[in-house]
Amino acid sequence: MLKSELASHFNHALFIPELKATNKEAVLKELLNLFVQEKYIRNPAIVLEMLHQRETLGSTGIGKGVAIPHGRTVAASDVLIAFAKSSAGIEFGAIDNKPVHLFFMVIAPPNDEGNVYLQILGSLMPIFNNPENCKRLMAVESFEEFIGIISGE
Amino acid sequence: MAMNDLERLVSLQDLDLMIQEADEVAKLGFAMTGYAELQKAREELAMQIRKPLLSRYERLRAKLKRAIVPVKNDICLGCFLRQPTSLAARGREDEQIFTCENCGRMLYWLD
Repeated sequence: MLKSELASHFNHALFIPELKATNKEAVLKELLNLFVQEKYIRNPAIVLEMLHQRETLGSTGIGKGVAIPHGRTVAASDVLIAFAKSSAGIEFGAIDNKPVHLFFMVIAPPNDEGNVYLQILGSLMPIFNNPENCKRLMAVESFEEFIGIISGE
Repeated sequence: MAMNDLERLVSLQDLDLMIQEADEVAKLGFAMTGYAELQKAREELAMQIRKPLLSRYERLRAKLKRAIVPVKNDICLGCFLRQPTSLAARGREDEQIFTCENCGRMLYWLD
């Protein structure tokens, strides 16, 4: 997936420049609440349950201060991504046991045309191999600035 | 929050999709250490679902891959047939489980 295509899946309404949450459960709920507010999801409890189960399978805290909670659910009709940042960092049970600052929540329906969901997950991962990207995302304040980084500008 | 039958079935299908796709997601670089725990969670959830309903779910899943499908704008996203207006109104509010008259899948209203 091209960086520009990945960038097109983000949405201004699903962007939190500074999280209120201070723990893992609260982060998941704060991010999910964005989807509810924007009427993308009607029943957050079902989606939250799915996200909990996904964390059972293995932490989505991939290290380097990044977490990508994700999953498919019947309660979603489109592939959606929310982004949030925590300057203070949150204990998320990440694989490197370090606090997480950058959160990308990816929610998808049971099937999607072209398997965009897996393509998005695959396209997000390499972004964090570049420490400069993580540093810039950590300092991001606006959606436009964020999209610039994701687009590779 | 206590789940109703439909919500339990949706969660079960979400779990089945997760288990089914775990290898592909692991290949992308995600750590997958809790496969056995997830299988156990699946068994525990299945035990909370009434047997006839669970059997129906398993039959549909074996035949059509997805037993439960979302309904958006009154369209079944399994076979893309428009659902009758009367069914749509009840499907949104009732806890009763409705099926698509065309494809037979169980329906979950998104809106």
